[in-house]
Amino acid sequence: MTELDTRGTPPPSTTNLAEILERVLDKGIVIAGDIKIDLLDIELLTIRLRLFISSVETAKKAGIDWWETDPALSSRAAHNALSEENQRLRERIEALAGDDAQEAHRERELRRP
Amino acid sequence: MSVTQHCPVGPAGNVGSSVTYVFAVCGPGRPGPFAATCGHTGGGPLRLLAVGPLWAVVQDVPAVTFSETALHRRLTDAAELERCARAHHDVVTAAAAGGPTVPLPLATLYLSHERATAALGANLERFRAALGRVAGRVEWGVKVYVVESDTTARPAPSAPPETPQPGSQRVSGRAYLSRLRHRQHSRELNRESALAAAEQVDRAVREMAVGSVRHRLHGPEATGRDRTQVMNAAYLIAEERGDELATTIRRLRGSPGFDNIEIEVSGPWAPYSFTDGGELAGHQ
Repeated sequence: MTELDTRGTPPPSTTNLAEILERVLDKGIVIAGDIKIDLLDIELLTIRLRLFISSVETAKKAGIDWWETDPALSSRAAHNALSEENQRLRERIEALAGDDAQEAHRERELRRP
Repeated sequence: MSVTQHCPVGPAGNVGSSVTYVFAVCGPGRPGPFAATCGHTGGGPLRLLAVGPLWAVVQDVPAVTFSETALHRRLTDAAELERCARAHHDVVTAAAAGGPTVPLPLATLYLSHERATAALGANLERFRAALGRVAGRVEWGVKVYVVESDTTARPAPSAPPETPQPGSQRVSGRAYLSRLRHRQHSRELNRESALAAAEQVDRAVREMAVGSVRHRLHGPEATGRDRTQVMNAAYLIAEERGDELATTIRRLRGSPGFDNIEIEVSGPWAPYSFTDGGELAGHQ
């Protein structure tokens, strides 16, 4: 297929393949054939190749869950990342507050006549 | 009727057991030309099979490489899957260049021409309806990405200035906190604006489309690591409106809020995504 836009660098050929696969695998009029193939197997392969972000159900069947830990791909992972960062920040604040308190105490001690 | 005299003929074209691979069903006008495509490797020439007033584009392929077991093995191998998918797609594309075409999914196979004709003939009305829907129209793919550049991870220019004071543990600690907060904030803003941009693109393209569908989002192998896909849609648009689409996309790229946004357009495609309907504009 030709890209409509010719500006910039052309996308990698895998983009094209993903576009072709998403069309030839589960689009078009489906009629029963004499030879049965399980398109689910192919879908799982393409997910394993990371061409698609899977529906959760399909991928869980295959035990694929890499996106759950990839913040760019999962709101759940993003949420986890946020929680972790929050936790780190709290700890940091407590540590800093502790430093401040100690230092203030030392300063008060020093100012005493 | 053979339509590809120029191709090397595989075993299925001569001797040995073969099965019938169906690529697509086309309207009453003659599909093709198929000058640049030969179908699957090892198969016979591409043929047109009459199905009532319609044409099926078929190929005799070796039974041994298109059995259930062989297909399972081949199609779960990345390289083989790509070869098969591209071969299928090339034939569908050539057929669609000649007139209204309804693609069939990869590996739709029958034991003989007669069985293929019977099965397709039993679905004649579905094919007629689908051909009527896609006639004179083509599919365009529109994908929207947000670019995850280094600059977007830095604090916005409006961020309070950090005041580094060498030797002071407290101030650099606060600077650290501030930096983290701003990085997170700008990431969220980036994502929100990307989704808003995607909605804007979708709205604009729908105005000229008669149908639209959303495909699954592409993963990192397809998009590249430095950007995240936020929309993967296909639109059914009248053939003559291609230029209008290009103009609309150009305008959107220059719109406010599209700095970190990439819009990719692919097509025209054979109407793969609209043979079984698709959401029609005005019916939402």
